Amino acid sequence: MERRTFLKHGTAATLVGLAGCTGGDEQGTTTGSDTTTADETTTEGSETTTEATDETTTDETTTEQDLSGTLTVATYSSFVDAPSSSPGPWLKEAFEERHPDVTVEWATPDNEMNYYLQRAQQGVDIEADMFVGVNVDHLIRIDDELGDRQLFEPGASPLDNYGHVKEDLKFDPQQRAIPYDTGYISLVYDGNEADDPETFDALTTDEYAGDLIVQNARTAATGRAFLLWTIHNQGEENYLDYWEQLVDNDVTILGSWDDAYTAWENGEAPMVVSYSTDQVYANRYDQDLSKHQVGFLDGEGYANPEGMAKFADSDNDDLVAAFMDFVLSAEAQGEIAVRNVQFPATDWADLPAEFEEYAQVPDQPVTFTYEELKGNVDEWVDQWARQIVGGS
Amino acid sequence: MTRGEGLARWFERRAIAVLGVATALVLAVLFYYPVLTVFADAVRLGGAWNFEVAREVLTDPFYFGVFAPLFDGDLTAVSEIAADQPLGLVGFTAYQALLSTIASVALGLPGAYVLARYEFPGRRTIRSLTILPFVLPSIMVAIGFYAFFGANGPVNDLLAALGVGRLSMLGTLEAIVVAHAFYNAPLVTRVTTAAWESVDARMVETARSLGANPWRAFRDVLVPQLLPAVLTGALLTFVFTFMSFPIVLALGGFQLATVEVWVFSLVQQLDYAEAATLAVVETVVSLALTYAYLTYESRQSANSRAANPPPRKRFFPSVSADAGSLIAGLERAAILAYATVAAVVFVGPIASMVVESVTGPNGLTLQYYRFLVQRQVEGASFQTLPGVAVRNSLLFGAATLLVALPMGVTVSVLTARGGRWERLADTAAMAPLAVSGVVVGLGMLRGLVFGVELFGHRVQVDGPVAIVAAHAVAAYPFVVRNVSPLLGGVDRSVVESARALGATRVRALLDVELPLVAAGVAAGAAFAFAISIGEFDSTVILATGSSSYTMPVAVERYIGNRTLGPATAMGTVLLAVTSLSFVVIDRLGGRWEV
Amino acid sequence: MTGLRLKDVSKSFGEVTALRGVSLDVADGEFFTLVGPSGCGKTTTLRAIAGFESLDSGEVWFGEREMAGVAPEDRDVGVVFQNYALFAHMTVGENVAYGLRFRDTPGGQSKDARVAELLDLVDLAGFEDRDPDALSGGQRQRVALARALAPGPDVLLLDEPMSALDARLRKTLRKQVKRIQSELGITTVYVTHDQEEALAVSDRVAVMNDGGVEQVGRPEAVYRRPETRFVAEFLGENNVFAGEVAERGGGAGRTVRVGGQSFRVADFDAADAARGSHVTFCVRPEKLVAGGRENAVEAAVEAVEFLGESFRAHLDWEGRELVVRLSERPEDDRLRVGFAPEDAHVVSVGDRAREPEAVEEP
Repeated sequence: MERRTFLKHGTAATLVGLAGCTGGDEQGTTTGSDTTTADETTTEGSETTTEATDETTTDETTTEQDLSGTLTVATYSSFVDAPSSSPGPWLKEAFEERHPDVTVEWATPDNEMNYYLQRAQQGVDIEADMFVGVNVDHLIRIDDELGDRQLFEPGASPLDNYGHVKEDLKFDPQQRAIPYDTGYISLVYDGNEADDPETFDALTTDEYAGDLIVQNARTAATGRAFLLWTIHNQGEENYLDYWEQLVDNDVTILGSWDDAYTAWENGEAPMVVSYSTDQVYANRYDQDLSKHQVGFLDGEGYANPEGMAKFADSDNDDLVAAFMDFVLSAEAQGEIAVRNVQFPATDWADLPAEFEEYAQVPDQPVTFTYEELKGNVDEWVDQWARQIVGGS
Repeated sequence: MTRGEGLARWFERRAIAVLGVATALVLAVLFYYPVLTVFADAVRLGGAWNFEVAREVLTDPFYFGVFAPLFDGDLTAVSEIAADQPLGLVGFTAYQALLSTIASVALGLPGAYVLARYEFPGRRTIRSLTILPFVLPSIMVAIGFYAFFGANGPVNDLLAALGVGRLSMLGTLEAIVVAHAFYNAPLVTRVTTAAWESVDARMVETARSLGANPWRAFRDVLVPQLLPAVLTGALLTFVFTFMSFPIVLALGGFQLATVEVWVFSLVQQLDYAEAATLAVVETVVSLALTYAYLTYESRQSANSRAANPPPRKRFFPSVSADAGSLIAGLERAAILAYATVAAVVFVGPIASMVVESVTGPNGLTLQYYRFLVQRQVEGASFQTLPGVAVRNSLLFGAATLLVALPMGVTVSVLTARGGRWERLADTAAMAPLAVSGVVVGLGMLRGLVFGVELFGHRVQVDGPVAIVAAHAVAAYPFVVRNVSPLLGGVDRSVVESARALGATRVRALLDVELPLVAAGVAAGAAFAFAISIGEFDSTVILATGSSSYTMPVAVERYIGNRTLGPATAMGTVLLAVTSLSFVVIDRLGGRWEV
Repeated sequence: MTGLRLKDVSKSFGEVTALRGVSLDVADGEFFTLVGPSGCGKTTTLRAIAGFESLDSGEVWFGEREMAGVAPEDRDVGVVFQNYALFAHMTVGENVAYGLRFRDTPGGQSKDARVAELLDLVDLAGFEDRDPDALSGGQRQRVALARALAPGPDVLLLDEPMSALDARLRKTLRKQVKRIQSELGITTVYVTHDQEEALAVSDRVAVMNDGGVEQVGRPEAVYRRPETRFVAEFLGENNVFAGEVAERGGGAGRTVRVGGQSFRVADFDAADAARGSHVTFCVRPEKLVAGGRENAVEAAVEAVEFLGESFRAHLDWEGRELVVRLSERPEDDRLRVGFAPEDAHVVSVGDRAREPEAVEEP
């Protein structure tokens, strides 16, 4: 028994060590490593690796690193608690195995980012070390509300794995938010009921009258992304006219992604604004893929990267950095992508074949940068909202 | 008398005053203070008075339609706005609330009639269950509505089979109105049934003996006895639907946005000043209506009456002796027609929810329930466990009952005399219903969860105790509205007799008054429990960072990416646990009823 | 047992003054009646004694104990209301036993025994398990009485207890109440608007009007010698005349002019009235005799009522209404009536303000 364990130890240690080495090396050399490498690693034996590490890494890592304490990670609830699958439990378990003296605690206040922003506004202690799930909207709101006061502080420099993050996903000019995954907003449509509209203009034609369900840009992230996408595509001057045509064409605007997706699944309309990874889910649950077609408009998809950031209040610099590095590791990147059903933000994630096959990437990912949005986005959304509601 | 007895009696003497102070304290801490911190944002900017935002909002035709120029004092713009957006957001919100109220009363009243006047197997159970829709999380209702009234739902299947063709029923004003009726018609039914069960049949008999036919006797004698209850139901419905938002977001679409939808999105953007101004407007409208209603009610309760309801008719007569008449036959037919409509509106969506919970992508499945079991067994401490949610919901529900009943009864007693000041106090006591849930949530977050710096310590109010208190604050107005009118009708001399015989005020209340208004107390208790079970907004905020989550919170957390299965399964558990509780409450409470 | 004293008690409800300085003394064991028209303040007085109303000013004493701030439940009073106020959700027995929850059973009996005793006292023995709804009005009122007496209160307060009952029952019940009251010797304050009832049962009565006490005294005294015109008219039927003294006269007796008619009235003290003083006097209907020689007037017969042992005739004398008792139905439409000078009772002298239009009222 002991002997077997020892052998296992050995293998695991080697594997982990290797992974660590490769990581370190690659960071130094190039950021543009292609996904095939990562893919190979996965097929070689990601399953056995995780299995083995479960029982073994303990003694190995303690000697290597000497981190201890409690790391409080704030995030949105479905990151740790979604019934389908969520990366949170895996991240905690895997990280704690690597660092036995560390406890990861998840905090998932209902108001998510606003909760911490409001704490900062009210001058109350933050009580968390970092936040997972920061997007560019959050950053703009934080900077608008807090001015010079910092909720987050730049955290990229101590990270070994930061070099693997894809350049075009780095959405924070101050490098507070470190991207860890991204999604592309696209249409999802029932291929038996509708054809791929392919263009924005087609959505305003009779053929698609009453066919589209979108989310409210004021209350849902996907809705906001879709609105920004229309602004990006149609231009700041024309988007309101475009929306007038959408409304005339009987678009349904529901409050949240869940509301919209439920309505779509029940056949209220054949098209809904959602994510381009839709088929990964459909496939996982053996659903009819012809009912889950992904459509990009004008070849575009609106990129919505998510990042993690360290609260300026936290003194847990080392723990935060270790955790961030872990999140950016090839293994975690693959797990997060699979469990969160989003694309990894790095170039080296271990992605299963399922993902390669069913997650679709637009020819032309588009997005507004922080600078483009700052000072504009509130006005854009307000004008849109007033037009929609006032016009009824 | 021993020393202990003396102390107990000393306390008993002051019980009403003590309860009054305690109620005021709970309200102040859990409600007024948090809400006022937010309302202050309407006119406070960076520590200074600033009326700019409030002025802008009030004079914005987008919000107030033709009233905006009136607030502005500029009348030239009226005609232009009248053509463009006459109602404004506030006007539209009131309009849909009015329609929803009419629909709820229309759907709820016949139910009250049947439940109060007919005896049939299962009547008590149905009466207990009328309150069910009240506790359902909005996402469940949305799911039920999409599945039932949706493009591919059974209603449309039936229409198609009948050759009428499929209708797009959702995403319309009608859909919101029906969904609001789904929530609120039971409220009308419940409140009215309680009143109907306390009418004095002798008055109807008197009217009949004076030559009134049954219809005139109903109109001239019964209706005035029932009207206060019906109006109570209508008022509560209006106030609720005036501030409705999750159902509007889920079923109506943004084009049909209400003020509360707007408040919600403004708060999400941390645009407090505008949100607070709109929330104050909502509250003013709701409280003004409440005050107007109470003025009416106080005029009614002067004529006291004895509860002496006529015997119930049997819906299935054993002998066909009295069932022969044409009118009785027509009435039964009408009741069956009503039962069909009620089945479509209430049973349809609820049954659809349950069906959804056992329907996977590939047909029937128990996988969502397996998920619940698995989560309960294997779930990590930071995850939401179904068993804990059920336990918490029941505990909080029971505790809320224990807190809200005394609060509500105390307020009823203290405002019973119905003078102007009592009416104002009563109105203020109704405020928890009349303030935007979003604003209450924000206030609680700031004022209670974040805490206040006191003597160098940050005092926080959260966790189970705060949740129960918050639920009680939300629930006690229902107790007041159910108990107060009946209490006002109790003969003063009955209470005074008890006092003269040696009963303290609170003893007389417990021994004499409450048993006499048991129907109202039971209805209030059921509402209190239901409010606690269904409450979401403040629970989710006060449960942050603790394991005090409840069933609706669990439902929300189980909404998975692209699968609502576990949420519907949890929702079905919620439905089952709640149904069972109501039947039990009713059985227990029923023994107490006269 | 204890006496009862009210000192200058005043009470207003908003704009309405209910009591203006009421003072009363009720002796220990006395059956004391407050009588007056509705709205006169008698019920408010009773409620002030019971502690149901807070006073604006004045004091209420039970024996040597001042009651300010003493709650109703601590005053040891028994109250019976007009509408019975039984607890509908309790049986008769539970109703009667209710007060024993808070006070020791007098004489150390068991509660059940006490309830049985009280029910027996009100002739309802064996009614313990009945439902109040199943009782007649008179039975309910007796249950209410038994309930009020069960804890052995110091003071019994009866607020129009008979008003809801029919006339025959009322008479039976009031005898029963009186019997029980004297048996127990309990200090009792009885409120009624029915002067006949008041006169029949009371040791003393207080006639109240407009928030004040007009006169207090034994029933006969108050009936025979009303001190105000209000009392004269309220207690029983009366013929009130207002006029002025026509001569100085000496000793007792004066001539009083009413309209064009002079009446000889004996009821004057020696130096009581000067010539020209305004005088109000009254003559009971039974003292106004047909065909009398003295103080006779001729009046038109307006209406005649048959009362059984006698007739009551309503007369019109120069636009003033007179009431007279006759042993026979009058045959003519005009009738001559008169009264002996000693049968007139002078209500007041020289008090013009309180004696305006005399008998002319309809």
